[in-house]
Parts: sequence; structure tokens; C-alpha cells
Amino acid sequence: MSTFIWLHEEALRATHPLFLPPANPEQSVFIWDDAYMDAMEYGLKRRVFLYETLLDLPVEIYAGDTLETLKKLAEATRASHIRTAATPNPRLGQIMDALSSTLTVERVADEAFVNLPEQDNLRRFFKYWNKAKRLAFQPNGGR
Amino acid sequence: MENQPKTFANRDALISHVRAISPSLAPDDSHVSDTVGGREAGVGLLEKIDPIAYGRSRNYLGGAVSYLSPYIRHGILSLNEVRNFALELGPKDGDIKPIEKFIQELAWRDFWQRVYQQNPSWIWNDVEDYKTGFAPEDYSDTLPEDVSTAQTDCAAINYFITTLQTTGYLHNHARMYLAAYIVHWRRVKWQAGARFFLAHLLDGDPASNNLSFQWVASTFSNKPYFFNLENLQKFSHPQAPCEEADNLALAGSYDDLAARLFPNGVSS
Repeated sequence: MSTFIWLHEEALRATHPLFLPPANPEQSVFIWDDAYMDAMEYGLKRRVFLYETLLDLPVEIYAGDTLETLKKLAEATRASHIRTAATPNPRLGQIMDALSSTLTVERVADEAFVNLPEQDNLRRFFKYWNKAKRLAFQPNGGR
Repeated sequence: MENQPKTFANRDALISHVRAISPSLAPDDSHVSDTVGGREAGVGLLEKIDPIAYGRSRNYLGGAVSYLSPYIRHGILSLNEVRNFALELGPKDGDIKPIEKFIQELAWRDFWQRVYQQNPSWIWNDVEDYKTGFAPEDYSDTLPEDVSTAQTDCAAINYFITTLQTTGYLHNHARMYLAAYIVHWRRVKWQAGARFFLAHLLDGDPASNNLSFQWVASTFSNKPYFFNLENLQKFSHPQAPCEEADNLALAGSYDDLAARLFPNGVSS
């Protein structure tokens, strides 16, 4: 029963809660997925910025389709558990959902900006800001 | 499966490698930003922020902006740590006013991410009707070539396009001007403009970028955002070429421009 960390483009720092104990991963990986980056409209500038960011992170970089590569890595390391960063990005969410059919996928939330529960029908900024403002000026957002 | 390299002789070698593992890149996509990726670069910028000066000058192209956005966009810096750092630089008497604008801009990022979580389908679809007197089908699906090549008849707009394409960054006010120009002056669908921005901005985020485009277009706001040359001159001089003779399409009073851009009348 081993765990590995899948780091994706929305959480590129070693201080993300993803890496905090009890994480004791066998392996931490980033998948360089050309088709995904093309779908996200990323040009050369962004890709260079992302690769430079990966250089100092505690991850191995593999090129390929994200889902297929993660499945192969899980098989090779006999991993049953993947830790990754929670994100609203639906493309990444779909990959997490697909992995869930064979593996336990743990989605780790980032440090919150404000300790505010989800508001229904969020539409205009000031409806959010009226509730968030008091917390936004407190260290750690009122946590 | 081959492990990709993490050490390179120099930046050119890294760029060549990125090209080699990115076959989908267009052959003519050749610009690389001077902005360097990585936590060290992000923390270096964070240590230089001046949230009080930001509050006073942020609307000007030469204002004390932080350039943290690409690092926040990809989680290299967390919103929480940037806020905590800014709080330390605020007045010690507890007066939040001088740093309010800086913190509020961080909150915009949090807001857009929350909207994205709740409504991922809004990212590429009109949230509401256009209030410009036009229907979606009245707007072009593609960006005109003179926009993508920075050859429009407005020098300031060409400057913004060139800056976007070469640096991967645009000041927020310049983004608003360029987005409004694309959607309202050229009557192009906001989605085409949003794709253009995402392809070039280092900080381009589906939520912040596309929902802001919808705010400009009026499909996620009560009215279309537009500007006139006088406003652009106030905030963009001397960085952008703002002479009226070089920007005739942008010149005029707000009433004149509204009549020109929205001849069917603006609805709400």
C-alpha cells in the first residue's frame, strides 16, 4: 500500500499542504502533458515558465498523457493511493475522477485565503467581499 | 517512461527542451518572457511589494504593481502568504485603508476561483445576454489578423498587443483597454479575445481571465465596459503612444463613443 503525489500546474510549491505530513510518498511526479497544455491554450512563454518552476520542486517530470502516465506509474509502484491538490479546474477534476475508479484519490485543499464557507449563487464580487472583508485583513484569513 | 531532465546548461537549452516535448506549439510561437519561473523568483518579488504605494498608483501603467500574478496563478505563492506578508507592511495602528486595495485584489482571485468551482461551465459560455444591443451572432468568432499582428490603426492598442506577446504580462488597466477594444470596437466574441490572452499571459487563468472578459463584454455585468482616449492617456502616458492622431478610433466623449459602438442602445 504505497502513496504517490501527483503535483499539477495549479499547486507548484513544496510548501503546499499536499507535501505536509503525514505524506510520506514513494514518489512525487509532475506530468508534462502536451495535449493538456494545448487545450489550456498555453504557448511557449507559459510552458517555459512552468518548466523553470519545476526545476527546484521535489518531483520527477514525465512526459505523456496525464491519465495514462499516472495509471502506469501507479501500477509500476504498486500504489493504491494518490495525493493531489484540490482545484476547480474541471480538466484536472476529470482526470482525478477517472483515477478514482481504481485508486484512492486524496484531494488536498490549499491554505484558505479566508475562512468562509461556500456561498450559494456567487455572481457579483461585492456579495462575496461584504462577507470576506473582515477575515481578509486577519492573518491566515481568520483561521 | 523517461524521466525528464532538471538541469540544463543554460536557459536556451531549457527552452529547446520545452519545445521538444511540446509538439503542439505553433512553429512561429517564439517569444519567451524575461520573467523567470520558480519559487525563488516569486519570493524575491514578494519581498519587494509596496502595498501602500500600490493602493495609490495601481491604475497607472507605471504604478507600483507587484508582478506576483504568474506566481499566484500557479500556486508558487499562496494567496494566504502574500496577504500575511502585506499585512506586516501595513500601518501598525490597525488602519486597513492604506492596504485595502492590495488585499482586495487578492480577494478578486479568491472570488473568481470560488465562482469557477461553482460554475465551471461559465468559463467558456455567456453567463448572461450581451447588453450592447447586439446578439452573440453579431460578433466574430475569430481575432482579426491586424490584432494578432499588432497592426491596428491605434498605436496604443498595438503597444499593448506587442507588450502582451513579448513579455507575457499586461498591466490590469491595459488588459481592460485591449479587451474592450477587441470586443466592442472590433465586435469580436469575448471567447476569441480570452483565448488570445491565455496564449500569451503567464498568469492567464481560465476563471480570472475569461470572467473578466465577460465583465468587459457585459455577459457577466450590468453594462459593457469601454473607455475613451482621454482616460487611456491619463493612465497610460508615457508608457503607451497616446497621441490622438495615432489613436483616432478611441477618441471622443463617452456619449459619442457609446453611440458609435452601441448604435442599437445599451440595455441593462
